[in-house]
Amino acid sequence: MLIRHEKPGYIMVLASLLVMLLTAYLLFDYQRSDREQQAREQGLALARLISSMPWQQVVGQSGSKGLLDALSEGQNNPDFSYAQVIDKSGRVVKEVAARGIIVPDQPISIEPSSWIGQRLVDRKGQPGSADKGNGATDSEATSFIESHAPLFQDDQLKGFIKIGYRQPELQLSYAQLPFLATLTLPIFLLTPLFYYFLRQELKPLRKIGQSIDDISNGFLQQPLELQPNAELGQFMERFNQFIETTQAHIRKLDTEQNDLYMSSKLLSYKNSKVESILQTLPEAVLVIDKSGVVSYANQKVDSLLGKNSEEIMDKKPAEWCQSPELLKVMSGNYNKGSISTVSGSSLSGTASNSTKKYEVLTYPLFSPKDDSQLLGRLVVIRDVTEQFYERQRQGEFIAQIAHELKTPLNVLAMYSETLIDEELTSAEMRIEAANVIHDEVERLSTLIQNLLTISQYELGGLLIERQRVRMQEFLQDVFDTMAKSDRARTLNFEIDLPHEMGVAQIDKALMRIAINNLLSNAIKYNRPGGQVKLEARETDHALEISVSDDGYGISEQDQQHIFDKFFRSEDNHIREQTGHGLGLSLTRHIVLIHQGELTVSSEPGQGSLFKITLDKRPDNLVG
Amino acid sequence: MMMKKITLVDDEMHVLRIMRLSLEKQGYEVSTYSNGEEALAALKQGEHPDVLVTDIQMPRMTGEELCKNIRLEFPDRSFRIFVLTSRTEIEHRDWSASFDNLEFLEKPVSMRQLLIRLDSYFQSQKIPS
Repeated sequence: MLIRHEKPGYIMVLASLLVMLLTAYLLFDYQRSDREQQAREQGLALARLISSMPWQQVVGQSGSKGLLDALSEGQNNPDFSYAQVIDKSGRVVKEVAARGIIVPDQPISIEPSSWIGQRLVDRKGQPGSADKGNGATDSEATSFIESHAPLFQDDQLKGFIKIGYRQPELQLSYAQLPFLATLTLPIFLLTPLFYYFLRQELKPLRKIGQSIDDISNGFLQQPLELQPNAELGQFMERFNQFIETTQAHIRKLDTEQNDLYMSSKLLSYKNSKVESILQTLPEAVLVIDKSGVVSYANQKVDSLLGKNSEEIMDKKPAEWCQSPELLKVMSGNYNKGSISTVSGSSLSGTASNSTKKYEVLTYPLFSPKDDSQLLGRLVVIRDVTEQFYERQRQGEFIAQIAHELKTPLNVLAMYSETLIDEELTSAEMRIEAANVIHDEVERLSTLIQNLLTISQYELGGLLIERQRVRMQEFLQDVFDTMAKSDRARTLNFEIDLPHEMGVAQIDKALMRIAINNLLSNAIKYNRPGGQVKLEARETDHALEISVSDDGYGISEQDQQHIFDKFFRSEDNHIREQTGHGLGLSLTRHIVLIHQGELTVSSEPGQGSLFKITLDKRPDNLVG
Repeated sequence: MMMKKITLVDDEMHVLRIMRLSLEKQGYEVSTYSNGEEALAALKQGEHPDVLVTDIQMPRMTGEELCKNIRLEFPDRSFRIFVLTSRTEIEHRDWSASFDNLEFLEKPVSMRQLLIRLDSYFQSQKIPS
């Protein structure tokens, strides 16, 4: 990171070095070309000047110092190398040269057009010369800028003058170092300063970079605070605007995401609620979509159809449904609902369910948005076995009740007719008729009372009204009333009560019905001459009233059901007798609302014992 | 004139007794049975009633079963059967519709009513012969 951050610094140092080098180079190059220019101008000017002098004057006397010597000595140009006079044939007449310089001897054309000219000539320098002191001579090859001009004597071309200057080269001398240093130092010193300012300038940019990093990492909580300076001002402002917009967008997205999350939560909550409702329903619920496959099934299909809900998922009913009846209902017209009852044997195909009854309801499923668009059908399968048999039992019950009511009525009708018809009636007949009518009225009244009581408790309105009852008197009265009946007279009908019995808090009317039912059963399901006994026992905690007989008895299987409403045994002895399956059910109910207990013990062929046990608690029974 | 024979089937002893008395007084020959089983046995032993009067709800063999058994076992006998019922005739239609010799009497049945029915039945029998 540091490297990256400092990169501009390194580049700047490098650039400043380059600038320094370039500056130095340009400076020296300018110096060089300036000297070359000088050499060229000076050379040509000198050659022309000398050319205007007469030959003699130029050559001068041999042995004395001539013009050339003077020229050489008076020369202040350090590049001056030589001056030479040659005659027409090229022979050197006179020459002066700087130390260590060997004058090149390049011939000059004697064509008048090239008499005056300038050219560049090369000549190997003479290395190793003892007295060389000039740094310029250490180069191995030297180029000279040579200017030449003709020399005349009385308008006769006598020869040429050649003046050579060394061509200047780039060079660094020690003398120039301070100058160079003076030049580059400010540059060098300015670089860090400049870099510092640049960094200051770039600081906001770096801050921006950091903010962007934060934003992408999701850390930025508050708007970026930037102090925009001069050039960056506008950019900063825009950047801030951009950040604000971005943050607003992010906030909006966050809110939307939150909303989405919440609504998806809500949806899944609603979904699971609906699902749990569907699962809790006692009915099996199936959805068959338009293509005819099951797209939903709750778990109840398991118990009702004998099929796992996953087993039937995404399958057509024909693939798993063994009941032609049910199949027909499920594949009926999708547009119409239907209600049909299907018997169980065909539903799951198992024989054990043959007595089961199911109600199958189908409803067309329309889209909630567009109720003309059919989505499929809803199939609800309900186990109505209980209701079915309950209805059947009630139907039988009503028939039974009608019979029970009409039979005594029939007897009454016939006997009362007899009484009217005097011709027919002897005195004995009248007495008989009166007795029969009395018995039948009694029978009717008991039945009607039972019916009323039972309908009262069916409606939940059977209330117990306890009163203080002397048990001895009460039980004796119940026994005596029953003993008067025709049937009882054919039996050995007994009562066995303790000498002293306390007073109990019971509902007298209800308890009379309960005991009456037990007694009339014992009488009814007995052989002529059989025994029926009403007994009572009192302990410290309880009062027991029992009715025993030595009649047909009750099979173990029947004992499980005798207290069920409308239960009628299949036993032939029982079937022989009329009955409505209400008595014992009612009796048990009466005992229960007295907080008592009704038990039975019996063996077929040996007789039965029904026992009412009443708890002797203060609020129940008073000793 | 031969005495008309009437067979009575009812589980109610008092009903049997009073019907027997009334019918005998009218000059019918009466035999009584307390359930379908006993009556069927008597028919098998050669009893030939002109009219059979039966209750429906009886132990061992109901009136309905008795009627079906009679048709099954004695298809050539065509005596009239009066059925005493505590329900309505309509409620017995499902099984009785195929019988053409049945007549229903709803309880409570008056003896006078039964005698009139018997009378008109026997009158109708006389005309063709």
